[in-house]
Amino acid sequence: MKFFIDNLPIIFPYDRIYPEQYAYMCDLKRTLDATGHCVLEMPSGTGKTVSLLSLIVSYQQFYPTRRKLIYCSRTVPEIEKALAELKRLVEYRISCAETPEEKEKEQNFTGLGLTSRKNLCIHPEVSKEKKGKVVDARCRDLTNTAVCEKARQDPGSVDICDWHENLGQLEPGNLITPGIWTLADVLQHGRDNKLCPYFTIRRMMPFVDVVIYSFHYLLDPKVAEQVSKELSKDAIVVFDEAHNIDNVCIESLSIDLTRPMLDSAARSVTKLGEKIEEIKTTDAAKLQDEYAKLVEGLEEPASEAADEDNFMSNPVLPDDLLNEAIPGNIRKAEHFVAFLKRFVEYLKTRMRVLHVVAETPLSFLQHLKDITYIERRPLRFCAERLQSMIRTLELNRLDEYSSLQKVASFATLVATYEKGFLLILEPFETDNATVPNPIFHFTCLDPSLAIKPVFERFSSVVITSGTISPLDMYPKMLQFTPVVQETYPMTLTRNAFLPLVITRGSDQVAISSRFEVRNDPAVVRNFGSILIEYSKIVPDGIVAFFPSYLYMESIVAAWNDMGILNEVWKNKLIFVETPDANETSIALENYRRACDNGRGAVLLSVARGKVSEGIDFDHNYGRAVIMFGVPYQYTESRILKARLEYLRDAYRIRESEFLGFDAMRNAAQCVGRVLRGKTDWGLMVFADKRFARADKRAKLPRWINQYITEVASNLSTDMALTLSKLFMRTISQNPNENQTGISLWTLEDIEKAQAKQRELAIISEQDRGEAADDEYGDGGIEDEMLVDLDLDF
Amino acid sequence: MPTNVCTAKASYKKAPGTLELTDTHLQWSQDGKKVPSVRVPYHEATSLFCSKEGAAQVRLKLGLVNDDNGHNFTFTAPQAVAYSERETFKRELTNIISRNRSTADSNANPAAAPPPIVAALSASPSKAPTPRPAVAVASASRASTSRAPSVSSDRRTPILPGTDAASDFRLRKKVLMGNPELASLHRELVMSGQITEAEFWEGREHLLLAESATESQRKGRPGQLVDPRPQTVEGGEIKIVITPQLVHDIFEEFPVVAKAYNDNVPNKLSEADFWKRYFQSKLFNAHRASIRSSAAQHVVKEDPIFDKYLEKDDDELEPRRARDEVADLFINLGATLEDHGETGNQRDITMQPGRQRGALPLIRKFNEHSERLLNSALGDKPPAKRRRVGGGDGGNDAYGQLDLDDLHDPETSVGIILEMQDRQRYFEGQMASAAAVEDARKKAFDVRPIFKEARDSLVSWEYNLNQLKLERKPGDAALLSMTQNVASRLDVKSKKNEMPPDLFIQLTTCQTAANEFLRQFWSAIYPPSTETQTIAPATPAQKATKAAKMAGYLGKTHEKVDALVRTAQVEGVDSIRVQVAMKPILDAVDHALAFYHTRSAKPTKGIN
Repeated sequence: MKFFIDNLPIIFPYDRIYPEQYAYMCDLKRTLDATGHCVLEMPSGTGKTVSLLSLIVSYQQFYPTRRKLIYCSRTVPEIEKALAELKRLVEYRISCAETPEEKEKEQNFTGLGLTSRKNLCIHPEVSKEKKGKVVDARCRDLTNTAVCEKARQDPGSVDICDWHENLGQLEPGNLITPGIWTLADVLQHGRDNKLCPYFTIRRMMPFVDVVIYSFHYLLDPKVAEQVSKELSKDAIVVFDEAHNIDNVCIESLSIDLTRPMLDSAARSVTKLGEKIEEIKTTDAAKLQDEYAKLVEGLEEPASEAADEDNFMSNPVLPDDLLNEAIPGNIRKAEHFVAFLKRFVEYLKTRMRVLHVVAETPLSFLQHLKDITYIERRPLRFCAERLQSMIRTLELNRLDEYSSLQKVASFATLVATYEKGFLLILEPFETDNATVPNPIFHFTCLDPSLAIKPVFERFSSVVITSGTISPLDMYPKMLQFTPVVQETYPMTLTRNAFLPLVITRGSDQVAISSRFEVRNDPAVVRNFGSILIEYSKIVPDGIVAFFPSYLYMESIVAAWNDMGILNEVWKNKLIFVETPDANETSIALENYRRACDNGRGAVLLSVARGKVSEGIDFDHNYGRAVIMFGVPYQYTESRILKARLEYLRDAYRIRESEFLGFDAMRNAAQCVGRVLRGKTDWGLMVFADKRFARADKRAKLPRWINQYITEVASNLSTDMALTLSKLFMRTISQNPNENQTGISLWTLEDIEKAQAKQRELAIISEQDRGEAADDEYGDGGIEDEMLVDLDLDF
Repeated sequence: MPTNVCTAKASYKKAPGTLELTDTHLQWSQDGKKVPSVRVPYHEATSLFCSKEGAAQVRLKLGLVNDDNGHNFTFTAPQAVAYSERETFKRELTNIISRNRSTADSNANPAAAPPPIVAALSASPSKAPTPRPAVAVASASRASTSRAPSVSSDRRTPILPGTDAASDFRLRKKVLMGNPELASLHRELVMSGQITEAEFWEGREHLLLAESATESQRKGRPGQLVDPRPQTVEGGEIKIVITPQLVHDIFEEFPVVAKAYNDNVPNKLSEADFWKRYFQSKLFNAHRASIRSSAAQHVVKEDPIFDKYLEKDDDELEPRRARDEVADLFINLGATLEDHGETGNQRDITMQPGRQRGALPLIRKFNEHSERLLNSALGDKPPAKRRRVGGGDGGNDAYGQLDLDDLHDPETSVGIILEMQDRQRYFEGQMASAAAVEDARKKAFDVRPIFKEARDSLVSWEYNLNQLKLERKPGDAALLSMTQNVASRLDVKSKKNEMPPDLFIQLTTCQTAANEFLRQFWSAIYPPSTETQTIAPATPAQKATKAAKMAGYLGKTHEKVDALVRTAQVEGVDSIRVQVAMKPILDAVDHALAFYHTRSAKPTKGIN
């Protein structure tokens, strides 16, 4: 259908619209108009992605500026879904176009998704490699400029990638016909035309209207440098499923070093030394050249280097890059190698310590200087200098140097940042381990650092998810000021989902995943009986989440020995998440087959794990989600402790507040995956006595919390079962009442709402005119109106 | 004259006699009688049980198809002789039973029916397990053998009953047994010869079809893991009962055992030895679904034969057996992992998968087992249940998963065009007439006078209400009538069961019989419905005769009812009540007869 918000024509690819979708679009539009940032929480499964895309594409197509859309999501399945959604939207827009010009305009609308070489490679040999790192390295060996040059001069002398070569024969900017291409489409296109999908997308990036990729491509400076550099400043940036964005920010600036890594780095340094000696005898001019360049200043701006040549970029944020020449003491190749050697040796010595050390970067640098006389400045250029050297030496199979690259990144980061970082050396994996397995963590504590450039560079950043309550937490942690901050309740004509809090088993023993009691046989048995009972009464699929892998693995073994799983086998098949991603995907595929077939299945997985993100358990794929325990983080983790301390000192966020917030957002994320659309239904079972506490529940998103009744917030297993059975009996009946007008709006309903809104606006305008003349259009009043509208209708 | 395979003296139900195995039957005749009192055809034998060796009595029990209790024979000869006799019978019967089973589930794994054995294991590690001869022949219970080896392979279309007289008869019998009311009607009408068997079943084919469908539906494999748990018997020994079903399950679950079986039995090991050693081997321990297998650890011994088949524990982070990647990007988790280079600190120890090494093989076993069950049920066929009704446009799966179907306007669906002659004209005509009606309605409802009238009538309502007075007499009358009504209802309720049971039964039978005749009558009159499958549609002539016959029967209904009324009078029951009870059926009969007479009065019309 087509409707107007203010004067912007929106084309929405359905005949009806949910009121919350409409409200969401209105707020989104306000954000775009105001060129500011926003935080929006929209109930899971109410078509967030389609409303977002529908509004933004309408916006792009209506205004002549054609602001580019950068849409970031968490996982490849979500990226692919967003692309498919976009593709369908554009098809719908084409079918709605009234004039041939409009039609052409819609047909020229281009959108692409980007992922790694590993996922996009179709080279028969390279694509067989298991590790992404190896695929990257081998791809570079086949596609870098030097190799291509050589191949062109002397065909057959070196191996090159034909798929990549064929791209060069096409006109740049016209590598693929306009339209929306999902990842699968691009892969097929590549196979059909013998073109490299990865570089097709990379080279088309400046020409497309929509780019969809994962958070890291924008937040991780190592990747963003290569991929996202040329994106214009007026682009609209959307972080969808952004509830974990703070973790992605932190991850992109943190690094771990282990002893095997240092050993491998040391070997690489030796190899580099040998290579330099070799080059000295054969091609000394090359080294001389490089030296000369380094003396002059920065070697060459990265933008000039072709995409194919980039292999490692600076791990620090663009603002922190130094625009000056590389210090003299590491300009000469052999000096740099000696420098690296010394640094690696130093790190190795540090690793021999058998007690935990936590220190700031400054104290680390001081100690380093005292022992090895390595200064901070050269250390800061380490990554850049290594990059230049590898390029000069024309090394192959860079994956073998990855440890050394990591060490260099570590050096640069540690020398660049003073505040918001911490170094932690943990000699033992666990407290009671006896064999040392030291890890040197360089950990970022402040999520606002990595995202700061994004907020500064782009005018509109949208942060949205189904579960980002409490909303004020994100602006606080990420240090930005949103112009719109909104959460939407779910309008339902009948309760499509039933959240239940089970606090004790049928035997009245309190259940909890608290560390002290989680392995208590009574608790384990009670958790098990919840699973058994639900597997008896719930049709098709059940998904169960555990707070951690460790707990899931131990409880699965315990359940098997207690005969609990045997009971479950009688009713449903059992699938379990495993450490291997592909194995889990296969289990997931079979789980879905079992649900489609009607046999029914149980999927056991982990909150914050692989399955909990990006996989939907809608309709028959998930009729019940059981959350066993509260998914708290492991509070004994030193990194977490450091982070909590930092949050407290820097942003006045209390430890318990953050931990509770983090646990509840993950729990909400898990249970939120059952719903898609308002005809879908599902049970959400929270099995832990701590969920009964009001302060915990208050942290759940409003749309879930509003449906937890007082009765359902403190149940024993048998009571919960009775409620669940009752719920399923009522929900399986055909809803006679018409949802239209309440939880579904037709075009007329929208117009009615708009008319009412206008009326209210006039009234409030008058009121305001009487009250104070100087107050002018802050937009805040509209929020309230929208909330009122939701309630009234 | 059937030839005897073997004979022996045996008692049955404590009566002495002779047990004989002929080439078609197992029969037992009491001493002094010629006709055997027990005769079991071969194909009915399903299971065989024997008493333990060394027991006081040498017994043999035969389970039958429809009767698990079966027959119990005790060999009466002196023990040594009795034993050898029993062995002869056992050998023969085992063959017969296994033949029966293989025909029963014709596509079962041929390895599924080796002679059942019990292996006895010694749990005490000190003394070597003394190989005891098979103690008893255990057989799988019927429940386990009747299970389909795989559901998909047995999805035959239900055959229409009647193709095979015997099976048809069996089906009918089953339907009647399951439905006592129908059975009594059948007794009443068919056995008394009023209507034929075929007539009775005509129009009831669906019952037979349903029955045969239920019969042909086999139970799928149960979900539980194949994990034979040893039972401890006294003396510290562990016993595992091996049934053919278990053997089949083990072979299916662990192909490596099937391989070992094929390699070693019977050349290197005997059947019994094979199982005995298997259950003591490391291989079995590796197959057990428990990480607490240490309990059985001390029993486990080196076994040169089975250790060859041992594989390394599948407890690495990556599975030992590499699998193809999942093509569907919507659920490909690996793609996310490879989407960007690894960043950040490693996760804390509770969030590192695979820290519990022992649990990994178990978890993998669960996934594999579930997958195997699923494959055995589905084969490679597409899922039977459509994911969502009407989901997705044109079967585009990717969109189907994204679609929010309630956002589609249900009225916008194209619908199915009604194919009919002169469609246009029909609808035009409809529209014209509808328009005419509409016009007429418009004329009829001029609202103003109605409003006026309503207003006028309401003018002085307060006054009118005050004027309202209730007359005493009609009020009393109304109350009285209500009381009477209640009283009479109470009356009816209290003497509900006054009818003598005999008479009541007679009434019911009369009623059902008349109903049946009516059913037959109308089914003969009306053209056959297209929905129900009939075996052979009757010709018009047949139908006419049938209708006539039924009309004849129906004609007698009045007499029957009169007779019943008379009986009621004899019994001292209010005959009017009987008449009232039978009134509806009589009306129906009268209606049918009237219809029949008018129709037969103008035979030119005929029935087609």
